[in-house]
Parts: sequence; C-alpha cells; structure tokens
Amino acid sequence: MKKFVIKVNGNVYEVEVEEATGVVNTPIATPAPAAAPAPVAAPTPAPAPAPAAAPAPTPAPAGATVVSAPMPGTILDIKVSAGQSVNAGDVLCVLEAMKMENEIVAPSAGVVAAVNTSKGASVNTGDALVSLN
Amino acid sequence: MSASEKINDLKIRREKIVLGGGEEKIKKQHDSGKKTARERIDVLLDEGSFVEIDAFVTHRCNEFDMPKTVAPGEGVVTGYGTINGNLVYVYSQDFTVIGGSLGEMHAKKICKVMDMALKMGAPIIGINDSGGARIQEGLDALSGFGEIFYRNTRASGVIPQISIIMGPCAGGAVYSPAITDFVFMVENTSQMFITGPQVVSAVTGEKVSAEELGGARTQAAKSGVAHFSAANDDECIEKVKRLISFLPSNNKLGAPVYAPTDDCMRVCEKLNEIIPDSPNKAYDVKDVIKEVVDSADFFEVHEHFAKNIVVGFARIDGSTVGIVANQPRFMAGSLDVDSSDKAARFVRFCDSFNIPIVTFTDVPGYLPGVSQEHNGIIRHGAKLLFAYSEASVPLINVIMRKAYGGAYIAMSSKHLGADMVFAWPTAEIAVMGPDGAANIIFRKDIAAADDPISERAAKIDEYKAKFANPYEAAKRGYVDDVIEPSTTRQKVASALCMLKSKQEGLPTKKHGNIPL
Repeated sequence: MKKFVIKVNGNVYEVEVEEATGVVNTPIATPAPAAAPAPVAAPTPAPAPAPAAAPAPTPAPAGATVVSAPMPGTILDIKVSAGQSVNAGDVLCVLEAMKMENEIVAPSAGVVAAVNTSKGASVNTGDALVSLN
Repeated sequence: MSASEKINDLKIRREKIVLGGGEEKIKKQHDSGKKTARERIDVLLDEGSFVEIDAFVTHRCNEFDMPKTVAPGEGVVTGYGTINGNLVYVYSQDFTVIGGSLGEMHAKKICKVMDMALKMGAPIIGINDSGGARIQEGLDALSGFGEIFYRNTRASGVIPQISIIMGPCAGGAVYSPAITDFVFMVENTSQMFITGPQVVSAVTGEKVSAEELGGARTQAAKSGVAHFSAANDDECIEKVKRLISFLPSNNKLGAPVYAPTDDCMRVCEKLNEIIPDSPNKAYDVKDVIKEVVDSADFFEVHEHFAKNIVVGFARIDGSTVGIVANQPRFMAGSLDVDSSDKAARFVRFCDSFNIPIVTFTDVPGYLPGVSQEHNGIIRHGAKLLFAYSEASVPLINVIMRKAYGGAYIAMSSKHLGADMVFAWPTAEIAVMGPDGAANIIFRKDIAAADDPISERAAKIDEYKAKFANPYEAAKRGYVDDVIEPSTTRQKVASALCMLKSKQEGLPTKKHGNIPL
C-alpha cells in the first residue's frame, strides 16, 4: 500500500494505492478529502494523473536533466538503471506510442540519477522518464 | 583646399568610418568571441567583392546627448558583393557603434539595400548585432523598424531573405528576422526575445538566463524561430554560404545547377533492406534521404526542431530539390502541431522559389492527445494540406511504409496535386492502421466470437492482407507505380527530369488565406 497526495482543481486528496492482484472487485483508490472545503468529489479516479497500475515513480532529483515523454504511450522496456553511465544517443527506454516502439535516447552523456517510470506504465506527454546527472 | 588635399581628406574620413566604434570597442567585440561587422562581411562574401554603400550617412537627431554623439557609418555597414560569384546584398549591424542601435538613418541604410536587392532580384542577407531601437530617436526609430518589416514582407517570395543573429536581437528587432526565410543563430553570443530576462522576471517572476530564454539552442530546438545554429561566427557564415548555394537568386529563376557529382542511375541496394519487417520498429529516414540524393549530401533545415519530420535541401542530378520526410525515429514520425508548421513553411519556401519537392512518407497519423487538440492540431495540420495543395512546383512522393488516413492525404498525396507518387512494396496505404480498422469494421464479429481475442487477431490479419499494401491505391491510380526500393534514385531522377517543363497556375487571386 502506497500513499499519495494529489491535487485536483485545487483540492488536496490523500490517496492510497495498492497493486492489484487477481480480480478487482472494489475500487482500489478511496480519496479522503484532507482539509478540502466544499465540493467533495465522488470517488472517481478521473482526471488525476494517478498512476494506478504503476509503482510509485521516483521524483526527479533536483538539478538533474529530466528526459520526458515526447507523447503519450506505454513504457515497453527500460534499458538503464540508476547509477549507470550513458553516452549521448544511448537508448534509455522504449515508449510504445502510435503503434511504434519509440526509442527514447539520452540527449547528452551522463549518469542515470533515477528511473522515474516503470515497465508497463502509461505515460503522458511531459512525464519524467529518466533523470540524468 | 587643393584637389589632392581633398582626396587626402576623403581617405581620412573613410578610415575613421571603417574603424567603427574604435579600437577599444573592437577589442571588446573580439574578446566576447564575436567578429566585427566588417569582418563578418569579409568572411561571407567572395574576397574583394564587397562594395560599400552609404558609408557617410550620419544620424540627424538633436535630442538628449545625440548632437554630441558621433556614430561612424550609423552603426550598420551596407552594400553588395558576391558569394561564389552570385550577387547578394548585405547589411551588418556594428555593435561597436552605439551598440548597433537602430535609429532613423540606420534603418534608411538598411532599407536602401533591401530596395536594391528587390529591384535587382538578388538575395538579401542581414547580420543582426544590435541593442535594439535607439531610444533617443523615439518614433523615428520605431518608424525605421516598421519600414524594414514592410520591405521584408513585400520581398517575401520574391528574393531569398536570410537573417543571421550574431549578438542581441530583442524587442521589435526580432520581427524582421521572423519575417525572413531563414534565421541563423550563434550559440552563447546571440539571443532573440521579445522581452529580456529582467522584464520577464519583473512581470511574471520567472528567473531565466538570457541564453536559456532566447539563445541559439532554445530558438533552434524549442521554438523553431531559428532554422540553424552554429558554434561560432565562422561556422555560422559557412552554413549561410552553403544554404545560398542551393537557392536561386529570385522567384523568376531556377536554382543553380551544378555538374552532377553522382550517377543518377545508381542502384541503392541498401534501401531494399532498410524497412524493418516489424511495422513497430523504427529506422532513420535520413539514411534513406542520403542514399537517394547526390553524394549523400543533405543540408538539413530545422535540424533540432520538431524532429518527427525532416526537411532540407539536396541535389539530384546536380539540381536543387527540397526534401520533406517523416522521421519514424522520433514520435513515430507522426504529424503534430510543430512538425506540420515546420513542413508547411518549408514547402511554401520551395514553391516560392521553384524548387521541386521530394517527399518521403512513413506516417502513422496525426498525433492524438488533449494537448495537441487544445494547441490547434486542426489549424496547424491544415497548413500542411494547404501548402502542398497550393504548390505548383514538381511534387514527387515516395511512400515507404505507413500512409494512413488524413496524414496520408497531407503528405504530398495524389489528391493534393502530387505529380508522381511512388510506393515501395512495403507501403501500407489505408484509411487507418489495421488494428483500429479491424476493431471498427469487425466489431460485431469480434464481439460475437467464442474467442474474441483470437478472432480479433484473425480479423486484423485479414485487414492487413487486404488493405495494408500499396496495390489498392495503385489500382485506383493514387499511386503511379510500385517500385523496388533500390531503384528509388533512378525513378525520382527520371521523374524530376520529366517534370522540368511542368506548367501549372493557380486561379487569379491576390493570395490564398492559409490557416495561420
């Protein structure tokens, strides 16, 4: 069980996320409005970028170069791990989008500070994928 | 004063002007990694070809400190000369003379060479290195900017206009380059922005360096304002000369034709193997371009901006062609807001200057997404359709792999007036990709099946076999021929030769109304 604090339209919610195993009968996320006055949203996991199936992404460390998703898609494979040295043009991960396996490459040489996504994760344009130092 | 004294006086006067802001300021310019206005012209033009005009022009401002201010050459060097023997007009702002600031007479000097360039039908190259409007001259300076923009616009599509940014270019000054055809920038020494970091910080609270806000990397990769970036002045000028070599002097002429450096019957065996068997795999479309064009010599425009489409100049059988190609390696080669803008503007440039366009198509579609829709993919995507439809130069298209839906139409299809459309046997020309199409057409069959998953796969295969090929389009004449990839260079060269006499006019009108 992981806890996230998410903000939707200015309202802050605390969300618990559990990795689903087998058949899911109950909603896995139950938003608890924390100090949010007025309109209590129905427990829909709607517009929030809640990473439902994906494990918690590691936040990008400050000062690192963040390689982000150029378009929405699914992470098929991650080719690097934290601490690994990469050269400019090395493949960091493979993003499946528009029915293509898009190789996301390092813009410059560096050391992988963190992998901010995970295999199978759905990502949106601009989501951090890998941070380099 | 005797005649000889007068001649001597002329020499002294000219020497002073040539020295610009003086040795100290010149040293400062050099120390900051920049050449002076005159040095830049010397590198740009053929040796000894520069002829200066208006060296003796001075400002006539009587406000503030201006009566006492001496500005040799009015802060800009103007004239004409040749690049590889071809006439060009040039102006080069002199940062050593009151910061290269633009006043009434400074602008008049620029306007004079612009008028001459237009009259004589030769390219104009502007080298920008200026602190902006000369505030002391108030409205007269503003008027100067306006007159330049007006001339840029009037000359657009008549003579090639090139802007080189080699120092600051801020505020109103940015709009002259923005109207011209190509903008070059130098890393670390040039910046372009409407409002500088201080104003940005004061108004929005955003802290940003000048380089980050409007440096060469930013403008070449993020905004697309700059078409080219270079590490220093020399490299930048080399690129300008290379660009000029591909261009005609004006819209009534064809581009210069060079003695062919490569056999136009050359077989490109490599192309038979370039398309991966899996439709999900990418390849570098620049490898295709380099195989097809003369001597693998491809001069890319907007290399760092909207990389999902590749545009640039090359030669086939010695003649200039404009290349537009989807790049499967970036964003699957999809069309989005930026790539549509980039390609549309390039197509229009080529069409203005009689440069045939060779398109390489492998496009999965327009990029879906909230941000794309909200940023106006409809409006921007329409520009590409408009540009190809409007173009009357020879249009050749090579469909290599995917050509789906609206994006198929947009990429120089027969329907928009392409003269010759070739398809490789690997082409998939259809209304949409097999997965999506099967889901819609066979929805009921799939839902009713005992095993929907394998039924779906079977239907996708059925659709693929039937439609994901070039022959349905060829049956209808939308593809003129299905060719072996290795023969692409031969076929394109032959088609270009056949299309040399193409004559096609638009209905009489002032101009179209491209969806901007």
